[in-house]
Amino acid sequence: MIALALLVVLFPLLGALAVGARCRARGAGVATALGGAGCFASAIALAVRTGDIGHYQAWSGFLYVDPLATYFAIVVSLVVLLAGVASVAYLRAEEERAELSGFQVRLYFVFFAIFASGMLSVFLTGNLGVLWILVELSTLASVVLVGLEAKARSLEAAWKYVIISSFGVTIALVATLFLFYSASGLHLSSDQRLTWAYLFAHGHSLVPASMRLAFLLAVVGYGTKVGLAPMHTWLPDAHSEAPSPVSAMLSAGLLNTGMYAIIRFEALARVALGPAYPSTVLLFFGFLTVFIGVMFLVRGGNYKRLFAYSSIEHMGIISVALGFGGTLGTYGALLQVLNHAIGKAVLFLSSGHLVLGYRTRESARVRGVLSALPLAGGAVLLASLAVAGTPPFGVFLSEFTIVRAGFASSAVAGPVLAGLLVLLLVIGFVSLVFTSVSMVSGEGPPKGSVVPYPGRAWPVVAAVPLVGGLAILALLGLWVPGGLNDLILHSVRAVL
Amino acid sequence: MGTLLAVAASPSVQRLSTSSIAGTLLTLSAVVMLVAAFGCLGSKLFSRYVVYYAVQSVALAFAAGVVAYNFGSAQIWALAFITLAIKGIAIPLATRRLLIQRLDLRRDVALSTGLSTSLIIGALLTGFAFLVIEPQDLPKGVVASSAVPLGTALVLLGGLAMVVRRHTVAQLIGWLITENGVFLGGITLVSSFPLIVEAGIFLDLVAATLIMIVFVSGITRRLAEATASRLRELRG
Repeated sequence: MIALALLVVLFPLLGALAVGARCRARGAGVATALGGAGCFASAIALAVRTGDIGHYQAWSGFLYVDPLATYFAIVVSLVVLLAGVASVAYLRAEEERAELSGFQVRLYFVFFAIFASGMLSVFLTGNLGVLWILVELSTLASVVLVGLEAKARSLEAAWKYVIISSFGVTIALVATLFLFYSASGLHLSSDQRLTWAYLFAHGHSLVPASMRLAFLLAVVGYGTKVGLAPMHTWLPDAHSEAPSPVSAMLSAGLLNTGMYAIIRFEALARVALGPAYPSTVLLFFGFLTVFIGVMFLVRGGNYKRLFAYSSIEHMGIISVALGFGGTLGTYGALLQVLNHAIGKAVLFLSSGHLVLGYRTRESARVRGVLSALPLAGGAVLLASLAVAGTPPFGVFLSEFTIVRAGFASSAVAGPVLAGLLVLLLVIGFVSLVFTSVSMVSGEGPPKGSVVPYPGRAWPVVAAVPLVGGLAILALLGLWVPGGLNDLILHSVRAVL
Repeated sequence: MGTLLAVAASPSVQRLSTSSIAGTLLTLSAVVMLVAAFGCLGSKLFSRYVVYYAVQSVALAFAAGVVAYNFGSAQIWALAFITLAIKGIAIPLATRRLLIQRLDLRRDVALSTGLSTSLIIGALLTGFAFLVIEPQDLPKGVVASSAVPLGTALVLLGGLAMVVRRHTVAQLIGWLITENGVFLGGITLVSSFPLIVEAGIFLDLVAATLIMIVFVSGITRRLAEATASRLRELRG
């Protein structure tokens, strides 16, 4: 069990090892992709093993695996796998064009490995102090990736990212201190006072006043990572300036680690304070976030920023779903985490084709993608339809579940809020799909002038994550496999 | 609520009362930290920022030492020495050598408010911190009751420095002040934080500072003058 958990965390480091062995973009990239595959496989194995025994704890709570942890590990390791495969082709293309020096390529793979490994280890610790450290560590690794191109714009985005999210994460540290303090009446050792499982079991004895403060600060602090409004301002910059595989990792991976921390704090707050307070806080931040995300979606412009605002919208939807609460709401939130992660990974990875092919990030200057790059065009179109919530893709199913949870919820004015959510979703749908359709259709540049990936083999490699991701997304819309359904239900039960 | 919290406070914390010498020393070092933060807010010279930050960190290390001596805890002694070594010496030295001297930074001109305005806002924030941290929310008769509002004030003052100063070095110092405020609250409120977690927090702090230093130098080379106000390409 311990070995499996370690494998999940260590596999992504293969890429860094390859750099240590003096490999170049191709070798290090292949190692990264293989590491992603190994990591995904061990995450699934871990989930299966945990399914048999319920949960597992070792090293006095520093290692803690329950269904929720394995579920998030599967989602994020899938994203690492898709982004790892895409990285090979993307970095190879950048190296070919001499956009990035050999040093930058090596830097990329080392920090990609640390970033992936840091995110996955967040899910496997039961100690909330260690969780904080790992969240901050993965943030720092991703900052290097955002600023990698070392142009004025990417340095600016990286600076904004590091300073805003460091401040936010510092707030989350204060939340952790207050949580620790709220457990001071319990007769626990100082390690146990930060261990989620003990706190959850003794939730009723946590001091309400400081628990209330701890939860609010955790939502604000980790919410900065998640991109909850009004702490979201770093997100569009970082997502649009990072290399596209990194944008996919940020949007589909890092945001989920922050959300995972919020879910853990919410579970504690619900036991200690009753459901009303955490639900109100999450609904407030959730609706504000959906609103802000949708409003900026309407504006259009840079298409990577557009996709980033769509991520903000989806993180808002997930917090609204958690705010609606109950089995249905939490189930919808977790399903949405998976669907959004895959959909957004495909979307950002296909935006990599556009950036490399068209050499611009302005959606107004990208036309006729379907004729110039049929595969990337198709992926952009299908993935934005999927992310916007069109049936038969998975996001439709999860958003439908969330709206149903709203109508069924005991929260104040649940049906009204659910109706409002539907309205915002429709506006977001129209603006995202409108921009994507206008990019893929129309008169394209002459065939052969748009070449994102050199050679014959690299376009195939770059296509693999797009096709694979879309296939999974379509599959999840039609049918949630029995094992996955059980896993989500067990995860819901782990925090309710 | 007050009684509940008083019960909740572990007995070891209650040994430290406001009237004791240790309590006075703790409050004193917290006040020194606050004065240093105001020094930063009221200064325009980059080298001063670093000096004030170093003074503040040494006061923080002293506060940790007082708590450690009082509880006779080896763990908190270790924490005090790490604080002194990293925050009091290593980070100020690195910032001085790698940023201030190498980039030849002297006067900070990228202020969005005047010095007196930011000092007044700072004073208001300090008052606000004392208002919101209600005495009844804290265990009675514990020295922490005066240090926690001061720690909160430091968090707010650091945030203020990050907002009104647009130079990246000033924003870095602002964040470090915030971090010191959190540590002050942490030491006085929950002195028994697990050492391994504290060590990890320090690791992150060092990594974050190094990465920020690298980015500040990169941005400065690109723009000649690293004011975040020049960083206006990304909007909306």
